[in-house]
Amino acid sequence: MTDLMIFAVLFGALAVINLVRLVKGPTAADRMVAGDCADVLICCAMILFALYSGRGVYLDIAIISALLGIIDTLLVARYMDKGRWLKYVAKDRH
Amino acid sequence: MPKTKFPAVVSTFVVCYAFWVLLTWTFTVQELAAGAVVSLAVALFSARFFIHERAFWLFNPVKLGSALLFWLILFPVEMIKANVDVAKRCFGGCKNVNPGIVKVPVDLKSDYGQAALANAITLTPGTITMDVAEEDGQTYYYIHWIDVTKPSGQEAGDAIKGTLEKGLRRVWE
Amino acid sequence: MLLRIVIDLLIAVGLIFALAGTKGVLKMPDTFCRMQASTCISTLGILGVCLGGLLYAIFVMHSPATAVKVALIGALVLFTNPIGSHAIAKGAYQAGIRPEKPMETDDYGRDFDE
Repeated sequence: MTDLMIFAVLFGALAVINLVRLVKGPTAADRMVAGDCADVLICCAMILFALYSGRGVYLDIAIISALLGIIDTLLVARYMDKGRWLKYVAKDRH
Repeated sequence: MPKTKFPAVVSTFVVCYAFWVLLTWTFTVQELAAGAVVSLAVALFSARFFIHERAFWLFNPVKLGSALLFWLILFPVEMIKANVDVAKRCFGGCKNVNPGIVKVPVDLKSDYGQAALANAITLTPGTITMDVAEEDGQTYYYIHWIDVTKPSGQEAGDAIKGTLEKGLRRVWE
Repeated sequence: MLLRIVIDLLIAVGLIFALAGTKGVLKMPDTFCRMQASTCISTLGILGVCLGGLLYAIFVMHSPATAVKVALIGALVLFTNPIGSHAIAKGAYQAGIRPEKPMETDDYGRDFDE
């Protein structure tokens, strides 16, 4: 039983280690990648904790967290390439 | 803006309803009816963005079988091999990398096939698809590769996506 | 007993690959290589955890709802992660981020950097 909890704590520790790159990273892309990794690792830890405690509520939170992670990555990527996708789409349509 | 077609609405409705039932996992009448209403609304709104080509290809047993063969056997084997390779590079001091961006021709014609191939290439660690370009009817991917060993073009394409493209061509053809 | 060992082995494999990805994110020399290392976390890391959790939910907890949700989390991460990874790589390149040591083959810069 307790082995799941040990693994959950280890995954959480890895997520905290990823935050070093988020603080230090020289560019916005580095920070975004590190934040995304921390998000996925926290999602893993939440799955393991839900199985350990036997409550399904944490699984719902893990689904929402995984889905929101992709959306903020897309937002930052869109901000970084200065809206060039818009130009490509407009050229294709006309 | 493309028009909404009836088969596209039906197949989008089936996907949305399966998702609803899997998420709630309660089989009372009210839940199932509410799920039907919500997924019908979602299907009417988003079918024209979701489905451009034939709507029922997933219900064909041959296509479904080869899709399952690809996503359950061929692709995980490639993914695990690439994962072990990248993990060795990471544990070995992160020094033996030779990154570069290569341009690779792709022979798949269907839009969904190209999207699935790009996602499969990105999911194998060591390669990230960066952009898609079309020149003279031939589609090219720009791929960031962590260890460039082959010159750009057909040889790099065989090394990166030989197995994946063969498996996907059986699904979308 | 054998089942618990298999579950622990699967989760431990996920943990090892997550550790490799974390070390790559911290130590790799440039931005794009860090992205490659981060793919390691979000494929085999979460796949190991989800397979182990799936076995645990089916055979130890006997709860199909939990099993379906765990499988769904794995599938969602595997389907959505490449889109974000592709978008952030393209955005980083177009925002002018280049590695310190120039890449030997750079077809994207040759074709689109006028």
